[in-house]
Amino acid sequence: MNASGDDAVVTVPVPPTGLPVANSLATSRPARLLGAIGATARTLVTALFGGIGRAWFFTREVVRATRVVSDWRPHVMEHARVLGVDSLPIGIFLAVFTGIVLALLASYSISDLVPLYFVGTLVQKTVTMELAPVLTGLALAGRVGANIAAQLGTMRVTEQVDALETLAYDPLAYLVVPRVIASTVMFPVVVGAAMLVGLTSGWLASIGLLDLTTPQFLKGVRLFFETFDVRYGLVKSASFGCAVALAGCHAGLATRGGAEGVGRAATRAVVLGAILILVLDAIWALVWLTGKTLTH
Amino acid sequence: MTTSRARNDVLVGLSIVVVSVLLLAGVLWLRQADLGRERKRLVARTRDVGSLQVGNPVVIRGVRAGTVQGIALGGDGWVAIDLKLDREVELPPEPAVLLYASSLFGEWQAMVTSVPALPADRALQSQIRDAAGRRDTLPAAMVPDIAQLTAVAGRIAGDVANVAERVRVAFDDTAAFELRGTIRDFASLSRELSRTVTAQSKNLDRVSGDAAVAMRALRAATDNVQRVAGRVDSTTSRGELAAIVADVQRSAKDILTAAEQVKSIAGRLDRTGGDLERAIASADTVLARVKRGQGTLGLLSTDSSVYRNTDSLLIELRALVKDVKANPKRYVNVRIF
Repeated sequence: MNASGDDAVVTVPVPPTGLPVANSLATSRPARLLGAIGATARTLVTALFGGIGRAWFFTREVVRATRVVSDWRPHVMEHARVLGVDSLPIGIFLAVFTGIVLALLASYSISDLVPLYFVGTLVQKTVTMELAPVLTGLALAGRVGANIAAQLGTMRVTEQVDALETLAYDPLAYLVVPRVIASTVMFPVVVGAAMLVGLTSGWLASIGLLDLTTPQFLKGVRLFFETFDVRYGLVKSASFGCAVALAGCHAGLATRGGAEGVGRAATRAVVLGAILILVLDAIWALVWLTGKTLTH
Repeated sequence: MTTSRARNDVLVGLSIVVVSVLLLAGVLWLRQADLGRERKRLVARTRDVGSLQVGNPVVIRGVRAGTVQGIALGGDGWVAIDLKLDREVELPPEPAVLLYASSLFGEWQAMVTSVPALPADRALQSQIRDAAGRRDTLPAAMVPDIAQLTAVAGRIAGDVANVAERVRVAFDDTAAFELRGTIRDFASLSRELSRTVTAQSKNLDRVSGDAAVAMRALRAATDNVQRVAGRVDSTTSRGELAAIVADVQRSAKDILTAAEQVKSIAGRLDRTGGDLERAIASADTVLARVKRGQGTLGLLSTDSSVYRNTDSLLIELRALVKDVKANPKRYVNVRIF
């Protein structure tokens, strides 16, 4: 209102026709879309780099916590049994079918010009270098990662972690380090067993289902076999074990919000573990296989 | 709690040990490692090992008898190959080692064989002779694999392609047309030849028939000659023929003399004719030069100015002679001292 008490008439200046209007542009649909994309990208970038930063600090704290040996050493064997020995059946089960399928797939893929004993070569190379570590790692990412995240998440939401801190225990040394060490040590054991079983099942499938004899299969296996193949698979699986355990522990300790939060933490641990396995697999391939040719 | 912990320890330790031992055993088995097994060692040398690798099999008469244990560069351009053979394996007499691809997929092997059993390949035997000579080292040679043969075949194919390209360039449409014409001409020539042969064979038949007739006539003539000879014999016996023969001999001598004279005359005529031909040829040459305006005669006959100059020169010469005759003292001045 103005001084006279009449409603003030606000005159909005009308822009000349044909000139762009800043306000209308700012509120148009493409602008809103672009804004949403920008906001999403900013969120993703923040989450990605924030996550990497948090993971880096978490890992650094875990490494630092390994110095408190008395806290973690008594628990390593227990976790090694739970995470490793108890996971052997899953790894072996996966390897049995992987070997069979690989043998059949190899015989299906090679043409008449390629000798059938190359089935052995393909089974050996694929099982040893890729499928045993990665498939077993993914399976264990579900089992081990979810297990760790659920355990630690439950402890977090029931304030057991806070109780440990109150009792002057380092939660990282007491809860995380033994799990990470056990997982890092036992993953190669499970993967090694998967390699042996996968190769054996591939051999049995070759002589049972294909027109291949044992000497032929062995010839194919030995043709391009190198100890590097086994070393590569085992080192890779150790890194997978470490990554899966770290992801599970990180997700578990970051749990908020009761049972629902525990579920989310378990899911997050599995997804993060699987992603880490695939990323590490690519990194190991780049580091170890780039420029390395197949020799015999 | 303690029991559970001990159980955990046992389970984990057992899992680790069992899996590790099995993995190690599997790796050693696949690598065909010979732990504590006695082996015989041999060294072979060659200029080039191709794609031979450490661990490749060594075979004797097709049976696996060991592995390639090491490959190292030696002096003087040699490559030393360390072979490990089973202890019980016996080497063939005059052993030599052939290195070759055992399949199309890059697998190589070393075969120990005897020198007389080597393939009849001069390059191979030359390599073996080159590598032989050391008592503690077997000679070795590399047999070209399919890749090298393919490379050679590729070069040959390239050369053939070059030749084909040259032929294509040389054998253009004109050449093809000419070749077609040549073939047509050759075909017509063949037909002509065939017709000629046919005609000639008919002529030959006719000539053969004529020859048969002539033979028959000749036989009849011979009979007549025999009859005449009989009569001549009877004439000779009466002495008339001797006189005729003497007359004929004299006449023949005269004719011979006359013939020699005619021959001499003819020879002289020949020489004269040759001289005449040469003279005519020279005259032709001179006339041709004259006609072309070359030489003095030619210039005289073709260039009127030369004629005129010569004519005026003659006139002046004549006047000069006349003046010399009239006034000799003007031109001849004889002085003594």
